[in-house]
Amino acid sequence: MYNMGDAIFHRPESMPDRSTHFCPGCGHGITQRLVGEVLDELELRERAICIGSIGCTVTSYIYYDVDGMEAPHGRAPAVATAIKRCHPDLVPFTIQGDGDLASIGMAEIIHAATRGENITIIFANNANFGMTGGQLAPTTLMGMYTSSTIKGRKAEQNGFPIRVSELLATLDGPAYIARVSLHNPANVRKARRAIEIAFKAPMAGMGLGFVEVLSMCPINWKVEPVDAPQWIVDNMVPQFPLGEYKCKPEVMGLKTVVKE
Amino acid sequence: MSWEIAISGFGGQGVLFIGRLLMEAGFAAGQEVSWLPYYSGEKRGGMCSCFVNISDERIGSIFITHPDIAVAMNPDAYAMLEPDVKPEGLLIVNESLIKEKSNRLDLKVIYVPMVELARELGDESVSNMIALGAILANAPVVTTSSIIKVLNQMMSKDSAQLEMNKAALLKGCEIS
Amino acid sequence: MTERTLMGGNIAIAEGAILAGCGAYFGYPITPQNDLLEHMSQRMPALGRIFLQSESELAGINMVYGAAATGIRCMTSTSSPGFSLQQEGISYMAGAEVPCVVANIMRAGPGLGNIGGAQGDYKQCTRGGGHGDYYLITLVPASVQEMMDLTMLAFELADKYRNPTLIMADGFLGQSVESIVMREPVKKLPDKNWAITGAKGREKRLINSFEMNPLDHPKRIALLLEKYERMRIDEVRYEGMRLDDAEIVVVAYGSVARAAMTAIKMAQQHNWKVGLLRPITVFPFPYQPLSDLAEKGCKFIVAEMSSGQMLEDVRLAVGSQNEIKLVNTYGGVPLTADQIFEAIDLMI
Repeated sequence: MYNMGDAIFHRPESMPDRSTHFCPGCGHGITQRLVGEVLDELELRERAICIGSIGCTVTSYIYYDVDGMEAPHGRAPAVATAIKRCHPDLVPFTIQGDGDLASIGMAEIIHAATRGENITIIFANNANFGMTGGQLAPTTLMGMYTSSTIKGRKAEQNGFPIRVSELLATLDGPAYIARVSLHNPANVRKARRAIEIAFKAPMAGMGLGFVEVLSMCPINWKVEPVDAPQWIVDNMVPQFPLGEYKCKPEVMGLKTVVKE
Repeated sequence: MSWEIAISGFGGQGVLFIGRLLMEAGFAAGQEVSWLPYYSGEKRGGMCSCFVNISDERIGSIFITHPDIAVAMNPDAYAMLEPDVKPEGLLIVNESLIKEKSNRLDLKVIYVPMVELARELGDESVSNMIALGAILANAPVVTTSSIIKVLNQMMSKDSAQLEMNKAALLKGCEIS
Repeated sequence: MTERTLMGGNIAIAEGAILAGCGAYFGYPITPQNDLLEHMSQRMPALGRIFLQSESELAGINMVYGAAATGIRCMTSTSSPGFSLQQEGISYMAGAEVPCVVANIMRAGPGLGNIGGAQGDYKQCTRGGGHGDYYLITLVPASVQEMMDLTMLAFELADKYRNPTLIMADGFLGQSVESIVMREPVKKLPDKNWAITGAKGREKRLINSFEMNPLDHPKRIALLLEKYERMRIDEVRYEGMRLDDAEIVVVAYGSVARAAMTAIKMAQQHNWKVGLLRPITVFPFPYQPLSDLAEKGCKFIVAEMSSGQMLEDVRLAVGSQNEIKLVNTYGGVPLTADQIFEAIDLMI
């Protein structure tokens, strides 16, 4: 029970007091916070290594009070692989955007996944290249307007969106793969639990932990921040269905029972 | 004393191997040595050469363009090597595959029917060892016993192969 | 200890790395350095160290980056086309000041080219190679012994300057076998108070090349430039042969320097005064010794297996007063002692 005057919501201890550089209504801040909560809960402040990627998550390491480093565009899984191989006690993780992970870094994520690297990868899917100005991403929806598909994505020009979670789930290496969304509090809570498993499974040596987060990008979607969550529900979820795509039997034991 | 040796033939004729034996024996004798393989892309059947330096001084070029000793295992090798052997040098010619005869009077040229001789021993693939025997019989680069010592080490696990190689080596020494 | 043994050039790099305390090797197969990777695939795990064959050179160099950021000595090896792919990671490491060793066993380019030995990556190695303002100490062995010795030195220099260090050798040297003296293993590795090891009982550390405040980036680069200047002053290495009374100086490195040694021996038989200046570092390049020889009135022959990439550095050192001739091959063709001797003969 809480007493009057007790703080019931506070910044995770693993996150220093600083404002983020994200745009109004962006989902990244929520994802970063969820990761911070998990770092606290699993007491990873002295073991975690945050690997920045390229895109809006470029400086994700400045928001955590843990050791961090910068990786070139798409290469964070390779960087994380080496850190973990050399130091099994460390907990490398990265937050990658869709250009970073699903476009230029597709080889690195596929191979890290198939090798069953014991690393954590959070994949922020907002259907476009956010930081570079809203261009076509591999996850851009059919017909969707971007700054490099001003008449909408067309199959004959750009093919079809990649469903990364489903793709990776065909491999034997990953321990846990889930797609979650940030469009309402209930789903944010689910995302938090998925991220926790994505840390716990590789820490237990079971293989890659991977969570794809459908994330708001109102600026580039050209919608009001307040409308962006509903945009996810209407446009992204049909193309990118939510749920767990891979959960090795041994991973089941890592889950804590939560009453909804 | 310095020896510059060039051996050339088809990939698969064991060109690199006899070069290796010469280098190992030279090394065991306390000499400075170098061994350089040089071949076209295919592992088998392409042109394959091997350059070996054995010297009591610091070795310069690992490439050898004017060998003291040259072994031509096939016609292309003969065309490449014959004009460039040093005057007073030694040229060993695989007579089984090379029909030409050298006009150079400043060389010691030894024609050896390597394939037939190897076949007589029961294994065509040791024609390279016949060639090596021919070198040893005509130039005091390293001793035959030092080569046999290296062979014993390299083939300690396969006595049949070892004996076949030794037999071919001695045959090459004898015939030339 | 003077135990002598026979060893291949590529293997000597691997063994030199092991002696230097290399804790992790990451790489992708490419001819003509596959024996190095294959050798590491057996030796490193046997020593309880890390070996991983990466999915590409891109991934491989970034694995090196990750491992090196944690403070352990690590390396990759490749050949020219793969080296091009690695420029991204090398640039990041230079920017973030992360040490590592990269061995580039050069083959002929551009493009696929062929697998013959070459020296066509000279500019790429000595001028940074990737994006941005940076330089890498580039060591150019000319014997199997130096493949081992300079690899060990490369690890020292990488740590000393917190910068990637290159071994640049041609494929011919990589595949040659020579006798070498084995070296003692490095006993004590340097402490790295910048490495990311998990922020146990200390403040967090960051390895990056990025500054949130754009005004801070030029300051960071200025520090890098100071570092490269120190390299230029302290790390020039070369070998001179018969330079005292030389009228003609051959400038050559790698396997070509070996051919040049034979060529000047041939010249000696004619009592010609020919010497050799063999750079052991090509960044930093031995500009001063060459410029001193130019002052004395020497003529120069630059011998290399490229279009004349090192020639540009020799011109910078020598200026326009002295005669400079290029003798070269390209496209995977070895440069022989004969060709160098011929150039000497023409110049005499």
